[in-house]
Amino acid sequence: MKYKDYYAALGVPRNADTDQIKKAYRKLARQYHPDVSKSAGTEARFKEIGEAYATLKDPEKRAAYDELGRRPAGEEFAPPPQWSHEYASDAQSFEDIDLADLLDALGRRHRTARGPVHGRDYETAVRISLEDAHRGTTLSLNLDDEEGGRTLRVTIPPGVSEGQKLRLRGKGGKGRNGGTDGDIYLHITLTPHPVFRADEHDLYFDLALAPWEAALGAEVEVPTLDGPVVLKVPPGTRSGQKLRLRGRGLANGRGGRGDLYGAVHIDVPAALTERERELFKELASASRFNPRAVVAKEKAK
Amino acid sequence: MSATVMEIGWLDARETVTAPELARACGLSPDELEELVEYGVLVPLRRNQPERVFSAEWIVPLRTAARLRQDFDLDLFSASILIGYISRIEELEREVKSLRARLPGHPHPAHRFEGPEPWREPHGKTLISTH
Repeated sequence: MKYKDYYAALGVPRNADTDQIKKAYRKLARQYHPDVSKSAGTEARFKEIGEAYATLKDPEKRAAYDELGRRPAGEEFAPPPQWSHEYASDAQSFEDIDLADLLDALGRRHRTARGPVHGRDYETAVRISLEDAHRGTTLSLNLDDEEGGRTLRVTIPPGVSEGQKLRLRGKGGKGRNGGTDGDIYLHITLTPHPVFRADEHDLYFDLALAPWEAALGAEVEVPTLDGPVVLKVPPGTRSGQKLRLRGRGLANGRGGRGDLYGAVHIDVPAALTERERELFKELASASRFNPRAVVAKEKAK
Repeated sequence: MSATVMEIGWLDARETVTAPELARACGLSPDELEELVEYGVLVPLRRNQPERVFSAEWIVPLRTAARLRQDFDLDLFSASILIGYISRIEELEREVKSLRARLPGHPHPAHRFEGPEPWREPHGKTLISTH
């Protein structure tokens, strides 16, 4: 068994009182807790300080830990032989046992008779494509658990959206002493799509129109999840308007679908041919349209 | 190694959980759950029924709050305040995502939410990022 220096993990002296230990833990937890930390990859460090605190805040566990004496962190050592009677009966040897598990077992034994213990819950983020969210998919989930690893085939039904939380009830760790089995929680995120942006079950895409298409109206081919369709652009369509294709969004899991919106922006040719320039000039001189008329009116007030 | 095909449960308003089931899923005692209802943080679906029923969408924020409570040695009231903030942050993030999807010229809004769970990110940074 490898020795862990819990005092060093929290940065407190070995004679620190409970208040000192608590303060040191809170300071480090604020820095490393995965839910509040601003840096990625702090889980391992938080686990280390959490384990140290769980032992040092409990007088019985701390006394048992102190009994081991002071050693360099990581040193192989053998716990006192009498501890083997205190540990779970199925453990024949200390070699493969983690120090924290051993101290936990000692703590439990001293406190109460064993009651039902709920199995371990697992949480994992799952990233799927927009198409898979729409049509449903089956995933293989590799679970590295106390049973030595399992592969679960999980059916994700059509209709999940960004941020959707799902639960596989009773598929986590095995419960002990009559306790229920743990659950698996899946947090769904959608991979970015080159064309569509999802807002719940509605989809948005950028619909570029030529100035004359926007002014005169047009029939343009647009993408949908089911393949291209022809969209009627009404005359006088403005930039920023959203043209809706009802029921062409993502499946919502309730038998329906969201809508698909084309967000209009009007594009102009980067370079004009001589003829195009002539026609635009002619239009400019013939038209009385002033897109800044409202601003000009406001200024004049 | 064995492979099992299974169905999943939706943790949103389309599914409900009983009080004992919610307590179990979140690692809280039934009394603690009742205390959260008394604080007005947790709202049952049908108040006048003898057996309380909740929307399954409570499970994840309650689990987060219970985890923070345990890891930071907080009391239940402090955890109840956190639940309010967690729900508010999730709601704001939904709104930000929704607004970004509607803006033209932002083909990959999901890129901005990579990394830790969205609500864990510094909000100021998320809100002012430009692409």
